[in-house]
Amino acid sequence: MTIDIPALLVSAILLAGLYATMSYGLALIYGVMKIVNLAHAGVMMWGAYAAFVLIVNAGMNPFLAPLFVVPAFFFLGIFMQRYIVRRVMFAPSISSLLLLFGIWLIMQNISYLGFTGDTRAITTKYTLMTFQVFGIAISINRLVVFCVGVLALLVMRQFMGRTYMGKAIRATAQDGDASKLVGINTDRVMEIAFGLGIALASLAGSLMALIFAFDPDFGRSHLLKGFCIVVLGGLESMVGVALGSLVLAIAEALSILWIMPALQDFVSFALLVIVLIVMPGGMVGLLAKFKKT
Amino acid sequence: MKRFGFFFPLLVFLFYALLVPPGAEVVAQPKEVILGAALPITGGQSREGGYFKKGYEMAIKEINDAGGVMVKQYGKRIPIKLIIYDDKSDNTTSVQLYEKLVAEDKVNALLGGYGTPLITAHTVVAEKYRVPYVNGGGATGAIYERKMKYIFGTLASIEKLAFTLMEWTTGQQDAGALKKPLRIALMGENTSHGKEFRQGVLKKAKAAPDRFNVVMDEPFEINLKDADPLLQKVKASQADIYLADARIADYITIHRRYTELRLYHQVASYGPRGTEQAARDALGAASDYIVSCNWWHRDIPTAAAKAFRDKYEKTYNDTAEWFPALAYESARVMAKAIQDAGTLDKTKIRDALAKMDMKDSLVVGGRVWYKPNGQIDNEYVMMQNLPGGKVSLIYPKDIATGKAIVPIPQK
Repeated sequence: MTIDIPALLVSAILLAGLYATMSYGLALIYGVMKIVNLAHAGVMMWGAYAAFVLIVNAGMNPFLAPLFVVPAFFFLGIFMQRYIVRRVMFAPSISSLLLLFGIWLIMQNISYLGFTGDTRAITTKYTLMTFQVFGIAISINRLVVFCVGVLALLVMRQFMGRTYMGKAIRATAQDGDASKLVGINTDRVMEIAFGLGIALASLAGSLMALIFAFDPDFGRSHLLKGFCIVVLGGLESMVGVALGSLVLAIAEALSILWIMPALQDFVSFALLVIVLIVMPGGMVGLLAKFKKT
Repeated sequence: MKRFGFFFPLLVFLFYALLVPPGAEVVAQPKEVILGAALPITGGQSREGGYFKKGYEMAIKEINDAGGVMVKQYGKRIPIKLIIYDDKSDNTTSVQLYEKLVAEDKVNALLGGYGTPLITAHTVVAEKYRVPYVNGGGATGAIYERKMKYIFGTLASIEKLAFTLMEWTTGQQDAGALKKPLRIALMGENTSHGKEFRQGVLKKAKAAPDRFNVVMDEPFEINLKDADPLLQKVKASQADIYLADARIADYITIHRRYTELRLYHQVASYGPRGTEQAARDALGAASDYIVSCNWWHRDIPTAAAKAFRDKYEKTYNDTAEWFPALAYESARVMAKAIQDAGTLDKTKIRDALAKMDMKDSLVVGGRVWYKPNGQIDNEYVMMQNLPGGKVSLIYPKDIATGKAIVPIPQK
């Protein structure tokens, strides 16, 4: 049996775009607030339903839908941070974990009430559309998701590096107290960062809905994969997340040459354990070490 | 007055002694027969749970409209009271609710929930308290391999599904539509459901090496995020036919990639999946010609199946799917078992279930009966999706509504 390795690699690279898009928000929120956002899966799921409503019910172009979904979820994130999450910001971390887990369950149940447990899928004229490059079939939907993943990375890097708010977010992530001392409104910064994290999760959900079927339980397994990527990337770095996504996607894809596909998740979690033990700073930490030496 | 005071009770006693035949017991007359079930009415399985509720309610209403279930011990028909709780698609809650049904509600018998994990969990309660239990929502053979005596299931096993699929394939080979030996690419979700499916195909392939050669056999994790590695293996296997077992979300994810990768096989099947409207909407023409197996279909041309379909669709203004059909039939089977037992004694109802032979049933084969392990062993109905959202029943021959299109036309 000869596996088409170039096709497998192309598929892995496209998958990395999806992995990165679904993990940016998780890394951003952890980076600034040191909170593990368990509601991330719920937000991705709501992002998928929002896209479903806009595309299937309102007839919107599938690639324009995120332009409406993302701002709406940005404000939802600000609301969540200001009125809910802020109350447990300085409590032991178990409080925020439980709170966000509770929010996820509430989101799930609201979806069950609103949309029932039926499996939904978005079908557009681009669904199943492919083009061939050197004999490899490339899906339009997957390519768009990959491009959006790269674009999100570039936009976030520009935002973080060139704007006052971006720099304030980075400063707060490094040292909240010192940031306050130099006059940064850290409460505002955290609101914006949380809003951006939620907006990125909704972007991932609305794009994933073009590829996967979904129901109110959607996002659970993606959240676990997101944790692996964020740890692999170095917890707080956007570039790290992108690199982590690429490494994980390629490792999973090539693993089928030696192990059965059912063990793909084993590869992710084995990588997670190895990274936590061998290089707790993730890939970005490792690269920084190499630079120093 | 004094003499009359002695004489009157004596007269009443004599009168009663004349009325009651010798040997008859004096028993309390139950006002109702209580059946109970916990169904996933909310949560992840709410769609299926809702269907089961409708099926149970329709059957019980029908029985009660006819005066109830005949119980010989009391010499009369007794109406059925149906208690349904919502287990929220949660195993622990399901077990607790079945405990409640037995301990607090004092049910005479239990009807089942939906889905292998829930049924595996709560059947322990029925067995522990020795309460007869019939379900129409748990097919996995593992449920019935625990040597339980009070558990009965009206869905044939997943292994049987694989057997039906392979027997049909054999028929296609004999008809010259498929070659011998056939190279098979096989995969199934990494659950007891998928494992049984793969085992069934492998057993049949091993028994007929001149007909079948399984060139790929892979389990995969549910909620697939990337079907490419799996499908690259399918592609590399150069199989003639492609047999998979997947739940609906994975079926959509995998078959979208299958189509994008421009794979082709002479037969493609996802086991029980194929005809679901959500999948047909999501896949469009890519779902045409997919072959599937199921326990029931609304187009089965028997009188019992048609009667159920018409009544259900009129009552609920909803398409009759297999879920309410099998729930309806499971409730009717339980009522028949009570009638056959002629008593509300739980052991005797259990014995009646073990000897059950219900004719003119809506199930495939028209007959409900149970193997010694408590599971029915009927054949599946096989279907093939046709262009334009149509479906044709292709197997068994006696209920077929069309001829299978094999090999699938290459697009």
